[in-house]
Amino acid sequence: MSEFGLRLAISLTQIAAVMGIVVITVLLLTLAERKVLGWMQDRMGPMEVGPYGILQPFADAIKLFFKEDIVPAGANKFLFTMAPVLCLIPAFIGFAVIPWGPNWTLEIGGITVKPFVISDINIGILYILAFASIGAYGIILGGWASNSKYSLLGGLRSAAQIISYELNVGLSIIGVVILTGSLSLVTITDAQAGWFWNWFIFALPAPQIFVFVVYVISSVAETNRVPFDLPEAESELVAGFFTEYSGLRFAFFFLAEYANMVLVSCVAAALFLGGWNAPYPGTILELLGMPSLAWVENTMWFAAKTYSLLFLFFWLRATLPRLRYDQLMKFGWKVLLPIALANIVVTSIAVFIAQHMK
Amino acid sequence: MASPTPAKRLSLSEWVKTITFYEILVGMKATLWHLLNYKPITLQYPHEKRTLPDNYRGMLALLRYDDGTEKCVGCDLCEAACPSRVIRVVSAEVPGEPTKRYSKEYYMDMTRCLFCGMCVDACPVDALGMTREFEWAVYDKRQLHLNKQQLLAIGDRSFPIREKRLELQHPNVAFFNVPFKHVPPKPN
Repeated sequence: MSEFGLRLAISLTQIAAVMGIVVITVLLLTLAERKVLGWMQDRMGPMEVGPYGILQPFADAIKLFFKEDIVPAGANKFLFTMAPVLCLIPAFIGFAVIPWGPNWTLEIGGITVKPFVISDINIGILYILAFASIGAYGIILGGWASNSKYSLLGGLRSAAQIISYELNVGLSIIGVVILTGSLSLVTITDAQAGWFWNWFIFALPAPQIFVFVVYVISSVAETNRVPFDLPEAESELVAGFFTEYSGLRFAFFFLAEYANMVLVSCVAAALFLGGWNAPYPGTILELLGMPSLAWVENTMWFAAKTYSLLFLFFWLRATLPRLRYDQLMKFGWKVLLPIALANIVVTSIAVFIAQHMK
Repeated sequence: MASPTPAKRLSLSEWVKTITFYEILVGMKATLWHLLNYKPITLQYPHEKRTLPDNYRGMLALLRYDDGTEKCVGCDLCEAACPSRVIRVVSAEVPGEPTKRYSKEYYMDMTRCLFCGMCVDACPVDALGMTREFEWAVYDKRQLHLNKQQLLAIGDRSFPIREKRLELQHPNVAFFNVPFKHVPPKPN
């Protein structure tokens, strides 16, 4: 096999693994969200399909596969078809740069492979931000192409909201980038090794805890989740930008929303919560004499951090009512943006002083 | 959310509450408490059903005496009492007995019924009863136009213990459909 063929095979294997894990996570999330919401509201959640409703995601998937695919009269058919794809691809493509295990290298047939990240590119976080912005096109085009006023209103709201809050996401990440001096998520995660106070949320010289809160709030808004679910406000806009969608196209939007949730949780875990690093130096499995299995522990820590953040999403949804539109804009521009900007200034000064103290 | 309004000046404690998301955390504590002390108050309906109260007003039924004769005397009072004009009675003489009448046809359009129970109250011979049936979802609403046979069938399956004819009853036990066990039956 040629070198290119081998490289392709390895990359495709990694992509298949990551895609599989993400899709399984999304399936789990659709059930977990309904269950957690139900439990928090003294209900049971889905109980009919399988024992305790655990097969509900599969029933939903089968239902969506076999649903009639309706294109509304007067819709722009090309854009109507393109929009879900435009929404889905950016949500999945971001996982390419997420390191979900230790920064090891393997030699397979003379090729150096990093097994726990699909591609360690040196602009990792910029790449995620860039593709997240493309996802907004899918929403806006879907809203416009549906030829429905509710869809259009949802799409417009979504456009304004995503643009406002993506700014905060971008600015809140800059503090971490200043601390590390790198945009690569692998380097950023490596810099947080050791005890948990080395995680950038607590790390000296500039703890990023305020900006972590800003990031979490902004990412909730960016993924159109409660309490920032104005683009799909049920009580006002039927379903917002995907009102007219049905069947598999609706499933694509749905999948994109949940994949986006997973992505922003992964990014938050990697940037602020130490990624795959355990809260103690090294790993327990290494101390027990199984260093080749240490990646299991690291991966589990990454999963635990990601799933805790995803639980936070559900928790917020069960607790908070929806914001009014002017409150949303005011909160984004007048509260979160100044905090993120101030954090950049403070972090820069702190890093500058810390470098001169050495 | 935590956005301070420019018109109102916040006191220090309010400021601290705002920037620490105090009120949101209180709400999140409440939802988490419900998650940890998980006691569902809902029932899995087709599998679990609530116990209905004794005076539940469910599906209407026509009743019979214990010898199988219909109670209804075709007086039309239920039709007059019904506020939503559910009931239609076609009254006729009992063949061979010109002094007695019965309902030759009896129709109920249950799509309109509001289960007020006025027909049951109006009936002078207690020929109408309200059962505890409520699962009457049908695919075709014409199936809710019930005739006399269907209404009698509902009564037969809902009230297996039937009342004796009035002339056979003890005067003290002329009580709707409930035999008093402690009162000895009238010797006949």
